[in-house]
Amino acid sequence: MARVATILLDGIAYGMILFIISVGLTVTMGLMRVVNLAHGAFAMVGGYVAAVMTEAGHDFFLSAAAGAAAAGIFGGVAEMTVYRPLYRKGELAQVLLTIGLVFVSIAALTLVFGVNYKTVKMPAFLEDPISIGFRLYPPYRLFLIAVGLVMAFLLWLLIDRTLFGARLRAAVDNPRMARAVGINVNRLFTITFIGGSALAGFGGAIGAGMLPLEAFYPLRYLVLFLIVVIVGGEGSFKGSFVAALALGIIDTTGKFIIPEVASFLLYTVVLALLLWRPHGLLPPKSVA
Amino acid sequence: MRKSLLGLGAACAMFALTGAAAAETVKVGMIGVFSGGFAIWGEQFQRSIQAFQKVNGDSVKGNKIEVIYRDVGGPNPAKSKQLAEELILRDKIKFLTGFAFTPNALAVADVVTEAKIPTVILNAATSVITRRSPMFVRVSMTLPQQTGPLGQWAAAKGYKKIYTLVSDYGPGHDAELQFVKSFKAAGGEIINSVRVPLATTDFAPYFENVLQAKPDAMFLFMPAGPPSIGAIDTWAKRGLKAAGIPLLCTGETQEIYLPAIGDIALDVISASHYGTEVDTPENTALKKALTDMFGPNSIPDIASVAAWDGMRLIYDAVEALGPNAPGEKYIDFMKGRKMKSPRGPIEIDAVERDIIQNVYIRRVVRKDGKLVNATIDTILAVKDPWKLDNPAAK
Repeated sequence: MARVATILLDGIAYGMILFIISVGLTVTMGLMRVVNLAHGAFAMVGGYVAAVMTEAGHDFFLSAAAGAAAAGIFGGVAEMTVYRPLYRKGELAQVLLTIGLVFVSIAALTLVFGVNYKTVKMPAFLEDPISIGFRLYPPYRLFLIAVGLVMAFLLWLLIDRTLFGARLRAAVDNPRMARAVGINVNRLFTITFIGGSALAGFGGAIGAGMLPLEAFYPLRYLVLFLIVVIVGGEGSFKGSFVAALALGIIDTTGKFIIPEVASFLLYTVVLALLLWRPHGLLPPKSVA
Repeated sequence: MRKSLLGLGAACAMFALTGAAAAETVKVGMIGVFSGGFAIWGEQFQRSIQAFQKVNGDSVKGNKIEVIYRDVGGPNPAKSKQLAEELILRDKIKFLTGFAFTPNALAVADVVTEAKIPTVILNAATSVITRRSPMFVRVSMTLPQQTGPLGQWAAAKGYKKIYTLVSDYGPGHDAELQFVKSFKAAGGEIINSVRVPLATTDFAPYFENVLQAKPDAMFLFMPAGPPSIGAIDTWAKRGLKAAGIPLLCTGETQEIYLPAIGDIALDVISASHYGTEVDTPENTALKKALTDMFGPNSIPDIASVAAWDGMRLIYDAVEALGPNAPGEKYIDFMKGRKMKSPRGPIEIDAVERDIIQNVYIRRVVRKDGKLVNATIDTILAVKDPWKLDNPAAK
């Protein structure tokens, strides 16, 4: 029982960090139909800003917020200058440009910070193992789970319960009709892009304890982020939540029980899922 | 007045000409990684070479030693071979050096054998490399050379049951093989050996299994960077450290990485041939040369010490044999040579042309506010155990 609980906690914590970082990607891929391979770069920017700030002695939470803000600004600027002209181009152009953006960000960070690794200093109460009844457990992972749940709840409120959310869903399901009824789809996209990038930056900052920061970050974790979006269904917030948790739990269970095959277990499951539901677990109406 | 000045000028010119005729420039080609994710290797090699030349002068008996740096960009055997050919044919180098990665070193074996260019390998640590060309000399290490002594030390320390966890790639397998062999030979028991995919990001489940297996200690081998940071982090935060399961590893805790790993690395035990705390006058000189030239944050690592010793070997060879000896003569000179290195006494194996050196067992401690590896035990003059076990392998 304690074993099962440990695996579940580990898997959920891993899934939560994937969710926080990837949920922004589901916006760009699902809503704007842009193959955005540079999403990890926004997470990395947030992480580096937080790392530099905690190094200078600032509070962890303030630093994570600053990381999110920096990633949001970077995302906003990128959306208006680089991404907007891409919306009408083909997928090849999008892939080339966004992967180019990844290389530029890798080179820029190497130039400024060198090739060594950066750490975000966590507060002491997240560092030392605490007792959770049946064992000692890293509080950092409990913290990730809590943050993930709060984020998911806030996003659900925003998307399901506000006018902004209704417009967003309308624009995802049918952008032309949304334009026709007077929704400013471009502005909506810019705002969501900034929000998604900020979330990625926030995830990069608080997730640095699990996904270490270095210049090759956007490439190293790209596949994981893409899997979450594709398995969840492009453009589906609930889908990426479910997918991230499922992937976290499957991956963790696999490594725990049969470490020899864990490396391809995850990909096998993803393959099977996509054969079964090519548009993901919970695709939005426009593609279902 | 004018005439005497002209005369002086002519005399100077003549002196310069004769001077040039007597002294030669000895070119040393250096193939390193200066760009991309592994650029730290090239930077550490280059800084150490520059510091060495600043301290020891850039000429030997009037012969200028000129190092020509070339960027191979990463593990890229084709590029490595091409650069070696260019350096030999166009730049007319006398010595070749560098090589962070095994494939890059293996790729030049035929070229340097044919051209008889003495090649001093500064890292590439796969055991078999020095047998691939009679012109290869290695001043770095091999993994079995570190994990073998570590296995013996662990058994002597009284650990009975050990769990091993390594990255699933060539060096991980080499490290695991020799550790397991030495530990078992000394009477220890390996309760499980698990190999982790290179792409692993979350190590929690692996360490959870180790925790539940309750070994006396665990052995770890991970490539530098996110894998080793993630693994050490999990070891500390998952309660293995608190449960008294010591972590034994190799180069994961080099002082250049410790600031990024942080306090969680405290008490990690490792086996290595070099650390900043090795107490020799040569190490003090190396550290001083680096900080004088590149500032207080330039921390030497295994790349620095190898480059330093590699240059010493080349300088000594030129000093003894002059700038124009045949390549084999330089190699003969290097065979069996003993030197005082920053890492302690070293010797080039007269038969294998590989390095014989001390292996230090260290523990991460905080000293003067910095995390460093304090030596807790020394195993003297270790030969590569893989070569002893495989006398005929090529």
